[in-house]
Amino acid sequence: MASVIGAAARSTRPRISALHGLVAGAALLLALWPLVFGNKFLLALATLVALYAIGAASLHLIIRTGHVSFAHAGFMGVAGYVAVLSQMRLGLPFAAALPLGCLAAATVALAIGPLILRVTGKYFVLVTFLFGEILRLVFTEWTAVTGGSNGIFDVPPPAPVFATPLGFYYLALGAAVLCVGIVARILGSEIGRTIDALREAERLAECSGVPVIRWKVAVFVVACALAGVQGVLQAHYLRLIDPTTFSIVESLNLVVMNVIGGMQRLAGALIGALFLTALPELLRGYVEMQRVFFGIILIIVMAALPGGIIEIGARLRALGKAR
Amino acid sequence: MTRALLALIAAATVALACAGAATAQEELKIGAVGSLSGGGTAWGLAIQRGTQMAIDEVNAAGGLKLGDKTYKPRLVMYDDQYTSTGGKTAAERLVNSDGVKFILGPAGSPPALAVIGVTNPAKVIVLSDGYAPAILKNEAKAAYNFRALNSNVEFTPAMIAWLKQNMPEVKKIGLVCTNDAVGQAALPLLIDAYKKAGYEVWSELYDRGTKEFTPLMTRMIAQGVDLFDLNFNAPTEAGLLLKQARQAGYKGRIWQVGGPSVDEIMAVAGPLADGFLSYDVFDFDSPAAAKFVATYHKQWPGIINAQAPAWYNAAKVLFEAMRRAGTTDVDKVRDALEKLDGYDAGLFGPVRWGGMADYGVNHQLLLKFLIVEVKDGKRVTRAELQPEQR
Amino acid sequence: MFTPTLLAQVVVNGLSLGAIYVLVALGFTLLFGIMRVVNFAHGAFAVLGGYALYYLYGQYRLPYILAVPLSALLVAVISLLLERCVFRWFYQKMFQSMIGLLGLNMALVFGSVIIWDTYERAIPPAFNGMLQLGGVILPLDRLMVVAIAAAILALFWLFMSRSRWGLAMRAAAQDVEIAEAQGIDTLSTYRLAFFIAIFMTALAGGLYAQIYALSPFMGDRPLVVAFIAVILGGMGSIPGAALGGLILGFTESFLSTFYGATLSAFVSFGVVILLLIFRPWGLLGTPE
Repeated sequence: MASVIGAAARSTRPRISALHGLVAGAALLLALWPLVFGNKFLLALATLVALYAIGAASLHLIIRTGHVSFAHAGFMGVAGYVAVLSQMRLGLPFAAALPLGCLAAATVALAIGPLILRVTGKYFVLVTFLFGEILRLVFTEWTAVTGGSNGIFDVPPPAPVFATPLGFYYLALGAAVLCVGIVARILGSEIGRTIDALREAERLAECSGVPVIRWKVAVFVVACALAGVQGVLQAHYLRLIDPTTFSIVESLNLVVMNVIGGMQRLAGALIGALFLTALPELLRGYVEMQRVFFGIILIIVMAALPGGIIEIGARLRALGKAR
Repeated sequence: MTRALLALIAAATVALACAGAATAQEELKIGAVGSLSGGGTAWGLAIQRGTQMAIDEVNAAGGLKLGDKTYKPRLVMYDDQYTSTGGKTAAERLVNSDGVKFILGPAGSPPALAVIGVTNPAKVIVLSDGYAPAILKNEAKAAYNFRALNSNVEFTPAMIAWLKQNMPEVKKIGLVCTNDAVGQAALPLLIDAYKKAGYEVWSELYDRGTKEFTPLMTRMIAQGVDLFDLNFNAPTEAGLLLKQARQAGYKGRIWQVGGPSVDEIMAVAGPLADGFLSYDVFDFDSPAAAKFVATYHKQWPGIINAQAPAWYNAAKVLFEAMRRAGTTDVDKVRDALEKLDGYDAGLFGPVRWGGMADYGVNHQLLLKFLIVEVKDGKRVTRAELQPEQR
Repeated sequence: MFTPTLLAQVVVNGLSLGAIYVLVALGFTLLFGIMRVVNFAHGAFAVLGGYALYYLYGQYRLPYILAVPLSALLVAVISLLLERCVFRWFYQKMFQSMIGLLGLNMALVFGSVIIWDTYERAIPPAFNGMLQLGGVILPLDRLMVVAIAAAILALFWLFMSRSRWGLAMRAAAQDVEIAEAQGIDTLSTYRLAFFIAIFMTALAGGLYAQIYALSPFMGDRPLVVAFIAVILGGMGSIPGAALGGLILGFTESFLSTFYGATLSAFVSFGVVILLLIFRPWGLLGTPE
């Protein structure tokens, strides 16, 4: 096992700089395109993709420990509500409200993590599914604080600069790059290897002295805090916050992004975020058929590429070698 | 043979040329936002179909003549999934990608609030629906948005006054509603209205999606309620509440200040619906409705959602405002809309705007409404009421 | 408030609710127990069962006792096509099956919207009366569901524990490779299990649609209920699904009547979470 990891590390070492170049190029492209094409709808869509990239990448971090959480949108909600409330009721500036929101999400994760992370596989899916429902019920029923199902509207923009669609796009893009960068950094470090060990051989890791639960909780807390960034930004983007934005459907969306993009790699989560946000827009022309097509596409992708869209690359490479 | 073929080609060419001439009119995109997936789909389809019928009517009459130009309206509609994110995305796409200046829908507070957040700064006219007062009472002062259907604020007072007068024996009201935006925003107002009129009120919220109310009905009967109001429940839930209340042994009166969903309730509850009274927006049996119903059924079979005529009405009101403005200029059309009082689109009588006292702006379209009763499986109109203009 | 009549009524309500939940949960637990497939399209099959009953009983007026099994059979037979085209790709693949079948659910539900529109339909009740004992009321249509649930449960249990096919299914559920080595044709065993699961789901869907109302979106609730009942009892366990459904029915009846619907939802979710943490295999399941 150790030798395999070592070999993998050695073989990726030279590729990392190439990867860095690629990432830098992509970031530059993402930053510059709106200046060339002025399409505002594309800009709105790109903002959504950037926001979902945060949620999907942070969920990917949890998935790498071998747990698929169906409560991720719930944690986004915790952060979103805390940030919005502290801004609108306590008058805190956005720069303080954002970390406070993330801290709140992290605190909830820290409180619940040690309990629920003992459960694995499908049972974890169900536990988090129910926990997400409980969070949604809290958002809905605690009307005095959260505004209930009506939510809180007229959320102020983070700063005057970010009130324009272009400004907000750069804010979302910056946050996405930062959050995805943190996730990539964690996965690429010693910790990342520990995480993989936890997933592949939990017992073995435990026997070699790795405090399994503690690691899992730590990763879970970090991931939920990062998800909070999406929750807070989304509230500012929509200019309102309400429970429909943090329902089980949204959690499921994030899971679908990861699975359809590919659960093994961070890039899979990003591809999934792009695919799932853009696809419905491409299908919107077929008003009545769009959901049917969407469903069929999900089936076909999952049946043909059980490892997700990212598998296309591996398939093509295999094809090339065969030739 | 060859000659016949040539003749055919010639005929086709002529036909195409004519068609080309007909489409030389400028296209006018009319946007629509509504739920085409999820629980609110029936309302979304009502928006789509009502608007489409009004557009078809304009096009059948040769298009919309504004000044010296003739426009050919075309519907562009996107799904809001009954969420705020969906509403925002749909509005962004209509405004920024399709360049739409006029939007009908959505129905429901979460998408409606998100849509007007996009459209008011962009100066796009929206006629929407949803019970949240903030749809009209907001920081933009509803600059470019209107509400095309009555909300509870408009129809509740008149109905309670009618109740007081016609059923003096009623003392305690039972209210059961979902915990969604409608239930939480509108129910407290309704409770207040009942209490002010001197009634005792028992109320309870349930989680959206519940279909089994027998335990709640057992709870309600134990409270000694003598009038059960189905208030703002969606059609199916209203029907199930009525059916299960009767099955649980509830003997008192049942009515609905909200909805309306009389057909759906009759379908779900069958003979148990007898004696049920309801708010209703539209009398499908009236002579004025006959043409609407016939046109609707030419395209779509089945039960017509009660909101479809109201959206047809809203679209016609919008077209009339454009005609009077003589242009598609947004500010001029908005001013014409505001001054449209008295125009009769055919189904609801003359246009009346209201809302100043409640929202600080006269952007609420006041529609006349009915109180109907179910008798032997048929609806009978008991009263025709008008919302108070204030 | 806790009068004997009211308490008796609560118990009767709980029983009739529990019976529906048990019916809805059976097909779900079977697919999971044997093929390790989390059937997110469960609700869509219930919807199809609802429309089948709507036509056979509501429109074509077949005798009720024929219409119920025939409509379920119809859906199950047609669904064999879906087994071939869709489900077969996902056996033994937990997450892929979830997402793929979520897609199937979407396609079926919105396909139904196009065919049948969204408005609610009612299937005429087979019985209209109410049974009254003392102050306690039980509508006859609910009583019938209790009877059907009991009969199905008994038949199903006999099939699984006594028949050759049932034993083969259980063998395949425990270890596919060993079952194959013992000469069990797993592919046709799977097909049979799928057929039975869909049959039961469609049957439950028909009854559910008749008691409540029928629309393409009817299936969401049965899916969630099946999910929770099955976890409570233990994934894949048939007596477990029965127990889970009944417990769910009784707690909902008791809590909603005496403490209201909101508290009832909080408590039932919370209890199931705790159960999952300390006994993830459920009340009657077996740890892996």
